[in-house]
Amino acid sequence: MIRYVVIIISVLLFYMEPIFGLFSPIELNEDFYVLVPRFLIIYLIFIAIYYDRKRAMLYGLIFGLLYDVFFIDIIGLYSFIFPLMCLVASFIVKFVHHHLLVATILTLLLVAAVEIILFLFYTSIGIKSLTFANFYQYNLIPTMIANGVFILMFGWLFKYILLNRFNQKLLLLQK
Amino acid sequence: MPQFFSNKRLVLLLVGMIFLVALISFSLRDRNHASLPEQLIKDVVGFGQTMFSKPTQYVTGIFNNVESLLNTYDENTRLKARLEDYATLQASVNDLQLENDELRKIIDKEENLRAFNPIQSTVIARNPDQWEEKIIIDKGEIHGVAVNMAVMTSQGLIGKVILTTPYTSTVELLSTQNPNYRVSAVIAGEQEVFGLIEGYDVERKELVLKRIDSEFEVKKGQKVTTSGLGGIFPKGILIGEVTEVTTDDYGLTQLAYVKPAASFSILDHVIISKRTINPVDGTDGGNTEADLTEGAGEES
Repeated sequence: MIRYVVIIISVLLFYMEPIFGLFSPIELNEDFYVLVPRFLIIYLIFIAIYYDRKRAMLYGLIFGLLYDVFFIDIIGLYSFIFPLMCLVASFIVKFVHHHLLVATILTLLLVAAVEIILFLFYTSIGIKSLTFANFYQYNLIPTMIANGVFILMFGWLFKYILLNRFNQKLLLLQK
Repeated sequence: MPQFFSNKRLVLLLVGMIFLVALISFSLRDRNHASLPEQLIKDVVGFGQTMFSKPTQYVTGIFNNVESLLNTYDENTRLKARLEDYATLQASVNDLQLENDELRKIIDKEENLRAFNPIQSTVIARNPDQWEEKIIIDKGEIHGVAVNMAVMTSQGLIGKVILTTPYTSTVELLSTQNPNYRVSAVIAGEQEVFGLIEGYDVERKELVLKRIDSEFEVKKGQKVTTSGLGGIFPKGILIGEVTEVTTDDYGLTQLAYVKPAASFSILDHVIISKRTINPVDGTDGGNTEADLTEGAGEES
């Protein structure tokens, strides 16, 4: 059972994202704030940090492709960004401490990077016209807050599960 | 660091980048048709998504029920006040409907732009990154959904179908910034004034109704509905209410801002309207004027 728990969680998060997407945008004082759930990439970055970089990139590629085909209809966008973020995360984490707080901050920064890459992509192909100031105020900051809350709630759980799985694998290798 | 950029990896990276750009530009070119593998993925993912969204909607439904239970007293007093008006209105609507039917019988005109077959559907997902205003619903080609059909809630028009697979379809909402998104509309007053919904003003959060003949007078507060002359949408679906009228950039026609009647933020149940009269690919669709009736292309 524990063998499959890593992939099961990613499938769950993949399906939870669009459901949380249904609650957005949130209207406050006649302004609409867009909260983008980025649960899957958060989890994948945690996999890259605590478990296995290659596996994280593989999952990133597969789920990114599903994401592209099902929601975006532009193939190659998320299937590139997800593995890239996992790669960057695993690269940075070599130089810093593996503490949960560090992982949380790193993940949040990478989520912001995903948002900014997407902002640049969508404004450059002309699907959306949005100034960076508006994007920053109505999209980026609310998204960061929402995902920050998500990491604070579930980050320790992800770390616990992934480290457990990592140690289990290590034991198997030693035998 | 040098190990990171070894020759093999560099080549791999370059090839990957080229492949990526090619893939993106290829899929950007023709986004309104899903190839067979894409359709397969969409249907399989859509099935899983339905499994997840149905229980969630059940739970949010309970919360909504509790909330409406708390508001019952308020609502009840307001509704009671409106009930008397409603009864007289209902009577006159019935009367007019009957009269309309009779008159139609007399002149032998069975077809009606207003008539449509509703397809009830559940929203299973909203495009989670929300860069584009899209939702995905659980009815597809098998259930009779076709591209460019009007999608509405009980409050009014919300968008149109842009992509179908056998078991799911993608709906682009009216609040999109897609410049090729048009809906043929009519302002109902003493006389019918025609225009096209073209674009959405993000700052005002209102739709822009363009190309209104400047000879007609349009007033604030008038209701805007679909005209049925765009070829695909049925007539008479409420779009919204006029909030401001100005002239357009060239001063030739009028331009009105329309506050949408339906809310786009939390959507769960939507209705797709499959109109009974033959659809034509007019302004609501790709503007090719082709007959979209099934089998129409084969005859000629």
